[in-house]
Amino acid sequence: MKTIRVIHEDGAHKWYAIVRDPNRPDYLIDTNEYLVVSGDDAILLDPGGSEVFPAVFSALSTQFDPRKISKVFASHQDPDIISSLSMWMEFNKDIKCHVSWLWSSFVPHFGGTRETFIDIPDNGTDILVGNHRLQAIPAHYLHSSGNFHLYDPKAKILFSGDVGAALLPPGEDAMFVENFDRHIRHAEAFHRRWMGSERAKRDWCTRVSQLDIEMLCPQHGAIYRGDDVKRFIDWFAHLEVGILRS
Amino acid sequence: MMSFEGQDSGRELRRIVRINEEIKTVVKTAYRINLMAMNAIFLAKRAGQSALGFGVLSNELRRFATDLEQQMIALGQATAGSVAIVTAMVKEARAVKVLERARTESSGLGRDVIDEALRRRHGTTFSERLEQVAALNRNLDMMIETTASLVEMGGVLARSAKIEAAYGGGFSQSLKQVSSDFEGTIGEIRKSLDSLKRFQLREFAA
Repeated sequence: MKTIRVIHEDGAHKWYAIVRDPNRPDYLIDTNEYLVVSGDDAILLDPGGSEVFPAVFSALSTQFDPRKISKVFASHQDPDIISSLSMWMEFNKDIKCHVSWLWSSFVPHFGGTRETFIDIPDNGTDILVGNHRLQAIPAHYLHSSGNFHLYDPKAKILFSGDVGAALLPPGEDAMFVENFDRHIRHAEAFHRRWMGSERAKRDWCTRVSQLDIEMLCPQHGAIYRGDDVKRFIDWFAHLEVGILRS
Repeated sequence: MMSFEGQDSGRELRRIVRINEEIKTVVKTAYRINLMAMNAIFLAKRAGQSALGFGVLSNELRRFATDLEQQMIALGQATAGSVAIVTAMVKEARAVKVLERARTESSGLGRDVIDEALRRRHGTTFSERLEQVAALNRNLDMMIETTASLVEMGGVLARSAKIEAAYGGGFSQSLKQVSSDFEGTIGEIRKSLDSLKRFQLREFAA
């Protein structure tokens, strides 16, 4: 079973991180899932692949009734992001999946009907969860051509999908980044190869620099908090991406 | 319950694939018979009066080949239609497998929610699919039986053609060769159908 931990709490407004599965087969990439709760409503961010569904479900259900998840947010279309969609629909067939318009006819191959999908336009949109308004922030070409991150202005948390991701070796898999310089070595190769556009990267860095962020939560690896958030954005801004090194 | 669904849906899909392959073999052979029958008709015409009986049988064999082809097309359509049902079963079995894994890892509310979802699945969709597959199997069995009777008739025609060939005068040798080819080819079809019938029987017995 994965670990579930509250990373932000303000009354009925909570962010849970669901991380690290000790029983995960080594041929599957490790993923982080996040649940944002506002009262009785909740949105699950990048719910993960169907192979990790049992581990995510069992951890999540210890803290929240899975039948009350009314929305999922898919940063992009990859199988490790959203292939478990049909499994979550087992508990709420009316669940809505917010995803870039670019993928709204691709992701249904993982499940759902026409009514399941809510297109996010290229310039982003707001998503209401309970009485909280979250913002889908454009992150196109990082790495997917239709890609969004989700910002919670109240909690000051940015869910950053694959941006900030690190492939951590065993023994260095703490939930939060503890030593930035040591951690970022595990993120470098990933960002150089997966992030395809210099220009998109610069746009993103400019855009998120204007946000007040206390935590940057990637879909793989550890969470950046405090000064490490700015440190990461600066590091990313200077990293050469979109290259294949032999 | 899980192993039943998982194994059954996978087995059903393999069964459909196997039936489709056998059907393709029979269709190819039936097409060959059609061409052979056309050649036999021309040969009988050339042989004239002495091969009148053979000519009649060649016409019958050609009609038999056309009927067989139609029958196999219908059988092919029936199995192709069933692929959608069986694919849905495989998908459902996979979902149930994932749910059962989630159940093992969960406790309390999580386990209750999973149990509810499993009950819902077992109570509705899966049993409906099983009924659909059972109906499909009955239909396939009937069609295979009809085809087998048709092939028996083809065998009788081929044997009669062989006898008629003996009265073919100067063309007797060529007519004998053609009727032996008919017999051999119909034998191949019979073999394919027998194998299909045995396969069906074995699968139902399992």
